[in-house]
Amino acid sequence: MSAQTNYDVIIVGSGIAGSIMAYQLGMAGKKVLILEAGQEVPVDRSGYMETFFKANAKTPESPYPPTTQNPAVSTAYNPLGLPDPAKENVPRYTVLQIGAWRNPKQCYFDYTPQPEHLKPDSPEAKFAFASSYERIGGGTTWHWLGTSLHLLPNDFELQTQYKQGVDWPGGKQFYQALVPYYEQATNEIGVAGDKEAMDELYRGFNVSPDGVYGANYDYPMPGIVSSLVDQQYEQAVSDMVYDKIKLSVTPTPQGRNSLPGERRQCAGNTNCIPICPIQAKYDATVTLGRALQTGNVDVFYRHVATNVQVDENTKDVVGIDYVTYQTHGGVATGGGTVTAKKYVIAAHAIETPKLLLMSKRNKACPNGVANHSDQVGRNLMDHIMYLAWGLAKDPVYGFREPLSTAGIESLRDGAFRKDRAAYRIEIGNEGWQWAANDPFTTLADFVFGQNNSQLNGDSVNQQGISLRFDPAMPANSSLFGASLVSTLNGIYTRQIRMGYLIEQLPDPENRVELSETLTDNLGLPRPKLTYQVREDYVRNAFVSAKDISTKLFDALGAREYTKAPSAPVFYGDKREVTSNNFEYQGNNFTFYGAGHIVGTYRMGDCRDTSVVNPRQQSWDHSNLFLVGSGVFPTVATGNPTLTLAALAFQAADHVLADLKAS
Amino acid sequence: MTDITGATADTMNNFIGLSAVLTGFATSIIAPTLDPVDIKSEYLPVFTQKITEESKDPTLVTTILQKYAALKAQQLSDQQIGTQMLAPDNGTNFVLACRKLIFMWYSGAWPTIIPATNKDPETTVSDMISAKSYTTGLVWQVMQAHPMGDSNYRYGYWAKAPAALSAYTGHQGGAV
Repeated sequence: MSAQTNYDVIIVGSGIAGSIMAYQLGMAGKKVLILEAGQEVPVDRSGYMETFFKANAKTPESPYPPTTQNPAVSTAYNPLGLPDPAKENVPRYTVLQIGAWRNPKQCYFDYTPQPEHLKPDSPEAKFAFASSYERIGGGTTWHWLGTSLHLLPNDFELQTQYKQGVDWPGGKQFYQALVPYYEQATNEIGVAGDKEAMDELYRGFNVSPDGVYGANYDYPMPGIVSSLVDQQYEQAVSDMVYDKIKLSVTPTPQGRNSLPGERRQCAGNTNCIPICPIQAKYDATVTLGRALQTGNVDVFYRHVATNVQVDENTKDVVGIDYVTYQTHGGVATGGGTVTAKKYVIAAHAIETPKLLLMSKRNKACPNGVANHSDQVGRNLMDHIMYLAWGLAKDPVYGFREPLSTAGIESLRDGAFRKDRAAYRIEIGNEGWQWAANDPFTTLADFVFGQNNSQLNGDSVNQQGISLRFDPAMPANSSLFGASLVSTLNGIYTRQIRMGYLIEQLPDPENRVELSETLTDNLGLPRPKLTYQVREDYVRNAFVSAKDISTKLFDALGAREYTKAPSAPVFYGDKREVTSNNFEYQGNNFTFYGAGHIVGTYRMGDCRDTSVVNPRQQSWDHSNLFLVGSGVFPTVATGNPTLTLAALAFQAADHVLADLKAS
Repeated sequence: MTDITGATADTMNNFIGLSAVLTGFATSIIAPTLDPVDIKSEYLPVFTQKITEESKDPTLVTTILQKYAALKAQQLSDQQIGTQMLAPDNGTNFVLACRKLIFMWYSGAWPTIIPATNKDPETTVSDMISAKSYTTGLVWQVMQAHPMGDSNYRYGYWAKAPAALSAYTGHQGGAV
């Protein structure tokens, strides 16, 4: 085992939080080492694109190594050929594993068992976690959407304002302190945004624009051109009021180029997730590159952190142990310890708590590092999503834009928030691709006479309206030639989809632990999850989302195709149990993930109830900082990346101040 | 004349003609005069191999293409040819092969039909043939868009309606 000791700061993880920290520290002349578990940033993205094009399931993870699906090993019980996580050195949780959540031969996570005697609507029901992440150079921003909304001041005071969840430390003061860092994050990402539209939105929430951006600040690029889909919504919702709030459509500030610059202008590939083929969308490899260009930053790829060493007496972190590998399924090729003055863990809200909990062999930390509070791994959250989809009256020509260019943000805050979770409504530009695996489902229906899209049979929607696309055609039509062309064209060009990002509350029982029985190929324990949606507060938002969707489709003159999910199955054959279905107030619901993994090393102003202090510094170890969305006390009402980026800029200042002081 | 896949020029011509009739796209789209992508040369061997394997009938592909050639020789319309090619009295395997040909051209993937069970309706799963087949799938053309992840358009084009459907299908007026 070798030791390397010439660094000021060691950072675990090269995603957006780690890369921003490295860049800021490197610019300040500090020597920084990044340990990245995954493989290096490729010279260009053509290899990832090739993998994506060939993938049968175009899931968010499909382009990235190690492979998520290998048809060559497909079997009846594993049709997509999911790899065995026990045989991978850096396995990660993928969307394809959700349906296999009770099968550890296919699913990276271990899950705690269901309690006995559940009813379909039991709040204690456990679910599969619905979001995934990457372990590669540049991290999960490879497949982020790019949405770059500021959180709202009330998001930081959920307890004070609405008696729900917790406040962020300092509440609105925390937000005010973050404003200049939001500005830095917006610049680093290169957000394209329409300030006037956002000012109007914030005024609706009683927030002065200066309180959002800082005086005289604007977005670095003009807003992305809105889609024809957005324009339909703009006209339709302008007269709508819901929960006593007037609705409006707001163009989404987003991390993609509206002007040519260091990166190309967005060309409307409609593929931000899984991968932007031309890097018009920002990803953390941009900032990682800037960090490396400072000349002060090294990055070691395929270095998997295995233990955080803590001095028994001082409680300071004194090193990070790692193991190395060359190939994804190969043996460990070495290992060692790296040391520095300060340490930063930026390994996402699943792998960060895993590493902290794995470090329990330190005599001073029998419950794991930074875990005096017993909060490490707890309060796992996501925006759990309700999807609604339909056919517009006239063609709106989706599948041509960034995946989303606007949303209905009006219901992110309001008096209703004392009774039910808030949500933002993302307007999709990708037809039913997410909702129904189109264009392939509808295609198969009209080629083979099936009805999985509900367009080609006797299906009726939840309002009792017939869903057959062309009433003049018989059910289960098999078409060819001109009628196939006109039918498919009529359908695809009208497809619309809304996604509701529902705010989940922090629940200490929703947690990441270490599996006692399952390991990866390096012998490291795999995460064990418990994930529930216990609060009526959150479940009420599903009822609300379902209700407003129907009203929105009515206002659009659209026909709703949202498919009611099957009843939940909690017991029995592991291939038959449902992963995300629940019943509430007589409705069956299913939820989807937003990829917003939050809360597992939360920030607070009390060392007994939080993992890090408002400086994102461990309460227990003064030279250890934890960054990323794991510090969020609540998931709030905006996509988390801009905020976690702002927090990383802020944490970099704290680390620099501490280095100076020492 | 036989090319490297063993297909004769007639075989390929019949394959192109049949594909155009069944998909509703013009031969100028299925097999352009200048065709650097040349997806037809990838599809014909896949179609031949898969249909032969699945039907266990080594003559089925030839039978299908010969039937098409015979109908074409009668100078029938595309609609008439398609209807006759898909007529049930051709046999289940014959018709299914023609339907799979449609699916392949549209999706770039080879389909497998999963029969209905007590619980689930009939569904289709598919294997992507190649990166090239994904990007040349006609499904992206019929929606007047581009393959997801392979846009040849420029910034902001999405704010206007796309070109007429006929520009994508190669058939004037949107009709075949």
